[in-house]
Amino acid sequence: MTIDIPFIWIAFKEIIKALPITLILTIVPLLAGFLIGIGVALVRIYKMKFLYRIANGYVSFFRGTPIIMHIMVIYFGFPLLLDQLSLRFDLGIQTNKIPIILFVLIALTLAAGSYLSEIIRSGIISVSNGQMEAAYSVGMTKFQAMNRIILPQALAQSIPNFTNIFVGFLHTSSIAFLVSQKEVTGAANIVASVNLKFLEAFIAAGIIYWGITILVEGISFLLEKKVTAYNRGGVS
Amino acid sequence: MIYLQGIKKSFNQLPVLKGINLKIEKGEVVTILGPSGSGKTTLLRCLNFLEKPNAGIVQIGNIIVDSEKATKKEMLAIRKQSAMVFQHYNLFAHKTVVENVMEGLIVAKKVKKKDARHQSERVLEKVGLSDKLHHYPSQLSGGQQQRVGIARALALNPEVILFDEPTSALDPELVGDVLSVIKSIAQEGITMVVVTHEMSFAREVSNRVLFMDEGVIVEEGTPLEIFHAAKEERTRRFLQRISGESFFTPLKEQVN
Amino acid sequence: MGKAFDLMLIIEFIPTLIQYLGITLQILAASIILGLVLGIAAAIPRLYKIPILNQLVILYVSFIRGTPILIQLFLVFYGLPAILLLLFSIDITRMEAIYFVIITYAISNGAGFSEIFRAAIRAVDYGQTEAAFSVGMTSRQNFFRIVLPQAVRIAFPNMANSVIGSLKDTSLAFTIGVMDMMGRGDTLIAATAHALEVYLSLSIIYYIIVVMFEKIFSKLEKYFNRYQKADVTAVA
Repeated sequence: MTIDIPFIWIAFKEIIKALPITLILTIVPLLAGFLIGIGVALVRIYKMKFLYRIANGYVSFFRGTPIIMHIMVIYFGFPLLLDQLSLRFDLGIQTNKIPIILFVLIALTLAAGSYLSEIIRSGIISVSNGQMEAAYSVGMTKFQAMNRIILPQALAQSIPNFTNIFVGFLHTSSIAFLVSQKEVTGAANIVASVNLKFLEAFIAAGIIYWGITILVEGISFLLEKKVTAYNRGGVS
Repeated sequence: MIYLQGIKKSFNQLPVLKGINLKIEKGEVVTILGPSGSGKTTLLRCLNFLEKPNAGIVQIGNIIVDSEKATKKEMLAIRKQSAMVFQHYNLFAHKTVVENVMEGLIVAKKVKKKDARHQSERVLEKVGLSDKLHHYPSQLSGGQQQRVGIARALALNPEVILFDEPTSALDPELVGDVLSVIKSIAQEGITMVVVTHEMSFAREVSNRVLFMDEGVIVEEGTPLEIFHAAKEERTRRFLQRISGESFFTPLKEQVN
Repeated sequence: MGKAFDLMLIIEFIPTLIQYLGITLQILAASIILGLVLGIAAAIPRLYKIPILNQLVILYVSFIRGTPILIQLFLVFYGLPAILLLLFSIDITRMEAIYFVIITYAISNGAGFSEIFRAAIRAVDYGQTEAAFSVGMTSRQNFFRIVLPQAVRIAFPNMANSVIGSLKDTSLAFTIGVMDMMGRGDTLIAATAHALEVYLSLSIIYYIIVVMFEKIFSKLEKYFNRYQKADVTAVA
């Protein structure tokens, strides 16, 4: 058993074609999860009746279980649920025609929502109470204060956390290969089994993930510098 | 005109304000003195419902609110009648100097952005910050930040400006600048309620001085009456201690 | 796909699955202990800026942060035997899968821990070191008596998060054939065709374990912080 270095490059060229699916599986759940995250964070901060218990349970459960469970439960559970509904209300949905990627996206979105809500919540809490009082003192409503004063600062401060979540979900999307998605890891697996060159294929996949991670961290670093410029002292 | 009747406030069953009655005429500058824990800052914060009183009536201008059944709408209406200058400035950290001043005009007063900018620049000129319009608060000294805070309040042209110990977080050499700005506003006839430890300010600028202790207004009068002919023993003792402290401060600093 | 959903099966499966919790915890414990050793070893060249070693550690940490654990697992699984055979003519192709998992997770944890240690030691106020020198301590005394105890307190919450993350990551060990809870779940699915129920049972088990870990860690954190003033956080 030796390592076929030239094959790594061949595998790389093949596997990188699957990058768009990996990016879809990363970005879509994060964007949708961001909306859930803001909603859940506000529900928890303002302790809205009943809702906040549900929100607490949701965040605790999704953060407390491996993401592979979310994918599997939704992958097996959703079609069952839809079939039942379809049967009862005669909707005529054929669950076997629903692309699997949709189930993966739903699962990852729910997971992303729970993680993002924690980040947004701690971001909001970290903005000092005085900012809220100052907003009230000039005559803003609670909504205006949240929207114009608190959230912009909370989100800017959370950029490093958002980057971590982005990288985390980029990596987590590799789990989707277990439900036969042809994203980067899935493609690597295919290249590996077809050519019986496992190590080379996974090295190539590793390089792709590594490269994207470094790129994202670099962009985030620049973005953070720009967005939190207001926080640095010193007269410019 | 401001009118308070029977304002009561407790924190965790600990009464901080025990029924405050107060009337302030338009254009009056009222200073509130008192030892820490006397309830003076709480009283100020009850005026714009940053603290909601447990009982009593608050009136600013033509808005009258019964605090026991105050709705969000009423609290907002009261806040739109007033503005506040905070001890720790509380400038909006993510907005520039001019944006800080514009914010209330745009959001609460619904002024057009362009007009808000003009008005804000004018007010900032008045407090001597025309050259800092596009700086962020973190790039300013404490004294400059507090002058922005004053401009932000002033721009709203409120019935009353509430000052919550506006100079107590400042380095000693910056206090003078801020005080002189507040003085110049006072002379324009804007109604002001000032909680402060600056005795010279209270003496020179205010029309009326209130002395508070343990949640009640112990004594009130003109600066002359309070500083030179206080009727209450508590007032006299407090003033004596304050002047004693200022006598000893330089020594203490040397020791440290 | 599967048979009709049966709620009772979720409860029935739990005792079968939980017998394999031991394997999961073994993987976790072994990979954390090895990871601690590796993490300390990797933090030293970074803190003392030892040339070459410092750069190697940076590369190591960057690679681990940059790739999914699944890819790391495959790289170790396929790569380690190849490397050992190539360099030392040692044949480990018959080694049990669980050891590959432990090695992977140890390498992964080591990278994370080294960063946590480094940040924690940096976070201790330099005034503490100056004070230690001022009362006549040596560098070594300062490090072990003054800096390290405070660094442990700072590092603890991040370590706790890492351990919980690692626990959830163990759910991927079955992909190279380890018979842990997930592996047993797979065989249960093959035998009963009740995939959804199996994954729900597994979710419940993982959730309970994670919550237990969180409870223990928060107790420990309180203990470490006993000489700190309570942080005043104003929740809006």
